[in-house]
Amino acid sequence: MDSFSSLIASEQRLFPLLDQRKQLGSQNVGEASFSSLIDDAELIYLYDGSLEGMLSAVFAAFQRHENPEDIVTSHALQESLLSSYVPVQTEEPLAARVRNGILEKLGDSAYEDVKKVFLSDAPHKGGVIFRYLHYAFTAGRWSFTHLAEPAVADFLEIRRQVESEAHHMLMFVRFAQLSNGMFYAHIEPKASVVPLITDHFAQRLNVQPFIIYDSVHNLASVFDTERWWLVSADEINAAEHSRAEDDFQSLWQTFYDTIAIEERRNPTCQRNFMPKRFWGNMCEHIPPELRKQKPTTKTPTHAARLQAAGQKLLEEPA
Amino acid sequence: MHWTTEHLFVYTIQNICLKGRGVELLDKLTILADAAKYDVACTSCGVTRTAVKGQLGNTMNAGICHSFSADGRCITLLKVLYSNVCSYNCAYCINRRSNEVPRTTFSPRELAELVIGFYRRNYIEGLFLSSAVLKNPDYTTERMCEALQLLRQTYGFRGYIHAKAVPGTSQDLLVRLGVLADRVSLNIELPSEESLRLLAPEKSKENTLGPMAFVRDGIKANYQDKQLSTVKRTRFVPAGQSTQMIVGATPESDFQILKLSASLYRTMELRRVFFSAYIPVNTDPLLPAGVETPLLREHRLYQADWLMRFYEFNVDEIISEEDPFLDPLVDPKCNWALKHIDQFPAEINKVPYEMLLRIPGIGVRGAKRIVMARRHRSIRFEDLKRLNIALKRAKYFITCNGSYAQGVIFDPTSIYAQLAGETKQKRAKGVLDGQLQLLDS
Ligand code: SF4
Repeated sequence: MDSFSSLIASEQRLFPLLDQRKQLGSQNVGEASFSSLIDDAELIYLYDGSLEGMLSAVFAAFQRHENPEDIVTSHALQESLLSSYVPVQTEEPLAARVRNGILEKLGDSAYEDVKKVFLSDAPHKGGVIFRYLHYAFTAGRWSFTHLAEPAVADFLEIRRQVESEAHHMLMFVRFAQLSNGMFYAHIEPKASVVPLITDHFAQRLNVQPFIIYDSVHNLASVFDTERWWLVSADEINAAEHSRAEDDFQSLWQTFYDTIAIEERRNPTCQRNFMPKRFWGNMCEHIPPELRKQKPTTKTPTHAARLQAAGQKLLEEPA
Repeated sequence: MHWTTEHLFVYTIQNICLKGRGVELLDKLTILADAAKYDVACTSCGVTRTAVKGQLGNTMNAGICHSFSADGRCITLLKVLYSNVCSYNCAYCINRRSNEVPRTTFSPRELAELVIGFYRRNYIEGLFLSSAVLKNPDYTTERMCEALQLLRQTYGFRGYIHAKAVPGTSQDLLVRLGVLADRVSLNIELPSEESLRLLAPEKSKENTLGPMAFVRDGIKANYQDKQLSTVKRTRFVPAGQSTQMIVGATPESDFQILKLSASLYRTMELRRVFFSAYIPVNTDPLLPAGVETPLLREHRLYQADWLMRFYEFNVDEIISEEDPFLDPLVDPKCNWALKHIDQFPAEINKVPYEMLLRIPGIGVRGAKRIVMARRHRSIRFEDLKRLNIALKRAKYFITCNGSYAQGVIFDPTSIYAQLAGETKQKRAKGVLDGQLQLLDS
């Protein structure tokens, strides 16, 4: 338990900051000076991948009266000769000034929105955040209603995507009970939404300890029935399933298969609502041959009855 | 970093293991879910109940779907019958007395454990419990209440419960059911009294509408059950009432169906009226032989229903006695617009919110976004995409700053031909309109 609590302390931070910050620097700076030989090169700021870093870059742009085309993380960089790259140091006091500016001038919900957009996987989210803030600091706290402005529309579109991915997770997260009593869910979302969804489960399922592990963003949330926190983890070795778990999975698979109306099979509609990319972590989609248990009795299928009755489709109503 | 869950916690398993009884329960579940699958309602919305420390579950006003079955329908609740042992003989129903099907009944504990086990794994929002008529309506409802009481009191379950009441249930039991459940529904079953008498002779208009009116009054007066005083619930049927009827098993027109549902919304204050396109499961001389009602008809009825519930349309604007079926080729909103073409084109920058709502292809959300955005500056066609407004249908009916969208000929006949053509093309490609996503109450 000791090593455990120290982990909590060190991993409490949502956005990895310190270690990545040092990796930036010389190598990128060298290349940057190369490409900036071109006169009207696109200006691109580089930051360390942390929220503080991104806000520091926004601060730098305001201070230098520059208009960077984009703000990207150094490791996601796909260099182009037409761009000039400027690394920006992460400085927490500067980031804090931007944050306070947002809170004061644009309100709490604007800062929440910036954080949400930041959780996106969209490669250009940095530029989108910058352009939104650039616009909003001039246009004021009602900026978010200026839906026809490109800077606002782009920003809200990414927010919508993040929120929609979070909602997909509320729908499709599947917990499995492990032999140590813990409930465990593995997810592979398109945005780093673990921080957005854990409250929901911590309230609703407050009687059970759980872990939600996002293996795409290497981030997990851990709930001990009292409170939850985030840890970054490259891998989690989950314990065996509890004995009850396999029974419940069989029951759920049985229910899932039974509830479908055979005559109304509609895979297109099914996949529109529940895209295939989620299926890998949902036990109802485990193919029958890999399942543990199968129902023994079969109810006579209605399809069989219908065949007997000579099923036809009715013509459209006139 | 490398983690194992063993490092984190060692908890004793509190769950009851189903091994041993597992297989038997699996069969019961198969039978009782199969028997319930034709019920269309599967929503979990309309009530917010916050979580309480130490108790499992809460409810969200918007509801959450958890899966989609192979037929594309949303799964949000564990939808099962308590029992499929039926003493009635409704012609359209798979569980009718005269059918030879495997019969079984849950025990309250089996059902409660299923709900809890599923809920803890985030498979469901809660339970949708109905039942065949075991002996008589009151006996059935008592058994259902027993199961729900165990779930609520002993297991402390705070998730969503939708309970279907059997027509003819006595008032005392309705009160108990309504205190335990979030939503109660009584199925109207068929769109006319004659049809009901013919196909479901043990049910009647009176013993359906009577309890429905009782529940309506109960919601207003917030009835409470003294025997259940330990259930800490504040409201009677907090998520309201709904009902359902089968479409296409009997000859009623869309006009009759929509008139009936409009009057149910008005007089019974229902939250939802569900339609279920008839699927033949029995052969009976009283039923259309082996003929399935196309889903498209159900879909059009739902579109009309939405116009009444969210778009402030009156039923008489949507359908008339002279033309008693909805157009399968063009949706009811487009049809209305084409019949009232003098009110179009609508200038996006000028017309009031109520008129925006009447433009085909613009939804409630879209209309709100337009109102918001145009306060700041006038909207051009290219802006509409930024507002996430699909122009596919809307483009025929609008102008932006006085001009039409590119290539649009503002002529009702050609617009109709265009829209009908699109529907036909879609169908030729095998794309069905599918079901509306019935997320909200
Ligand atoms: S009462 Fe009628 S509809 Fe209900 S289960 Fe029995 S036969 Fe079926």
